[in-house]
Amino acid sequence: MGNADAMDETASLGAKSRSASGRGSIYFVAIVAVITIALIPAVANSFWLRVLTSSAIYSLAAIGVALLFARLGLVSLAQVALVGVGGWVTLRLYFWLGLPFEINVLLGGAITGLIGLIVGLPAVRMRGLYLALVTLMFAAGFQILVTAVQFPNGAAGFMGFSFVTGEFMPRPVIATSDAAFFRYTAIVTILGFLLVELHRRTRPGRAWALIRKSEACAMAAGVNVALYKTWAFTLAGFLAGIAGGLLAGSLGVLDARTFPVQESVFLFALVIVGGVYGWAGVVLSGLLFRGAPALLNSWGIDGDIAFAIFGVALLHAIIAAPTGLAGQSQQMLAMMIKKLRSS
Amino acid sequence: MGIFFVSGLAVGSIYALSGVGLVLLYRATGVLNLAYGAIGAAGAMVAWQLVEWEYPAPLAWCAAILLAIVISFCQGRFVAPYLDFREPVIKAVATLGVMLIVLGIVNWIWVENPRRFDLPTDTIGTRLLGVRVTVTRGLVLVLALVSTAGIALYLNKTRMGLLMRSLANNRNIASMIGVPVLKVELVAWIFSGFLSGLTGLMFADLVSMNPNVLAFLVIPAIAADIVGRLESLWLTLIGGMGIGIIEAMTTLIKPVAPFRTAVPFVVAAIVILWLQRKQRLTFADDD
Repeated sequence: MGNADAMDETASLGAKSRSASGRGSIYFVAIVAVITIALIPAVANSFWLRVLTSSAIYSLAAIGVALLFARLGLVSLAQVALVGVGGWVTLRLYFWLGLPFEINVLLGGAITGLIGLIVGLPAVRMRGLYLALVTLMFAAGFQILVTAVQFPNGAAGFMGFSFVTGEFMPRPVIATSDAAFFRYTAIVTILGFLLVELHRRTRPGRAWALIRKSEACAMAAGVNVALYKTWAFTLAGFLAGIAGGLLAGSLGVLDARTFPVQESVFLFALVIVGGVYGWAGVVLSGLLFRGAPALLNSWGIDGDIAFAIFGVALLHAIIAAPTGLAGQSQQMLAMMIKKLRSS
Repeated sequence: MGIFFVSGLAVGSIYALSGVGLVLLYRATGVLNLAYGAIGAAGAMVAWQLVEWEYPAPLAWCAAILLAIVISFCQGRFVAPYLDFREPVIKAVATLGVMLIVLGIVNWIWVENPRRFDLPTDTIGTRLLGVRVTVTRGLVLVLALVSTAGIALYLNKTRMGLLMRSLANNRNIASMIGVPVLKVELVAWIFSGFLSGLTGLMFADLVSMNPNVLAFLVIPAIAADIVGRLESLWLTLIGGMGIGIIEAMTTLIKPVAPFRTAVPFVVAAIVILWLQRKQRLTFADDD
């Protein structure tokens, strides 16, 4: 009983923050996107470009986590592991077939979507804590698997890994420089966000909303609960897979140490801190995930203290601010605008 | 062969011991504490530091366990009550916040460095099944058995145990008939803190003295809990030991040996799939 109330409260707060940001939000996104893509490559040096590129990549992955949590209340603690799956598949396909970058990444995304579907399949029969634990077990298992087999780097055999050789996967032809690859990543991330937004505004979005309110009602209304739940997992897996492909493209190689289970857990925590209900939240969580540690390092502050601060922020977000930093700043902005108008 | 069995039994015993502490807390409070490993790690680091400063070792162990109890108590008193009426999964996610805080502070104080932590019981040993068994390994086995039995007795025979079981059954009704919820929960948090401090020390000795590794050893412990369906102490004990032994024995099977540390997760996944085989999700309640 109490649970349902808390959930409703969270959902309605989300709705409020959405209406606060208004219908113009999509135009606002477009303006911010254009500024980001045009301005950042001009002002950032190559170090910050690389940091922001990986922030954008993890924002893309964060969209999947936010989608599952905001629309269905499902906790996925395996997203970074799925990014690793996407990276592995993309590298494997490149060294096997030598396909163009885009096709490679899309195929990698599709296959990761299937893996995401399998991870999320237990969601048909369970939810809540047990489902979160299933994803946690997957992430922990993936870490061990990938540490043992490593990522393909052009060697022979299905695993395609060797310590001696070490080929790189080239970046896409149209985006070989750091600046161009940043723009490329930003555009793909925006496309990923639009894909989810499209889902939210059409049939799947309505089905998810009904499932979130009550699975029994959704069933009674003829919604195929199992289909739409697993569809959300597949979509989240697809986005993680694309992110993995981009990460592989950005660096040319991947290292198993990038994908420990901790990272999946941290990404989830930061998505909650950033805010799950809109584009600003996932952008923030990507920046917190990759940008904040780099920023603190450049200021000479120990990055570990950032974790303690993230911990406090996570508790604050869960207890008092279900819309996260993004929702809070939007509410503040709306209040300021109201005051300015009335004065 | 014997050596793998013995070392597996020892590590499995600590999985079980951690798992029992987690289950006890989960049953009484509904919180699956993901910060459990980090709390144990904080205790172990303090013990290591005190030994470095040449304080007597027993004092260092007591300090470690005391710190773990204090952190766990504070979590139960100042964090958990805010989440009383939320879903179990939200409570578990919130404990990630505590984990980040504890781990961040520990890593900030002690820069990551290779360290060793030894218990004096490592040097005393006996031969069993043709293998040298240190007292530490024997000790964890005994500790796991004794604490499982002790907690089971406590839950079944004392009044506080009865109150804990009533909370596990239904929190709303229990609080309505006058169970002092906060007090009972705090007792569970203290017990769980004690066990996390203890397992932190044991893991530090037997596995690794790295707080980041120690903090995430909570995941195989959760695997043991899953075997016990997050409710049975004895099944958790069997699960933990079984996982430890299978994990160690897998070293002998060459093709899968590199993947042996994945055993806890594979076992947990199989158990989850088995448990939910006949379940149909329709009308939601607590889960």
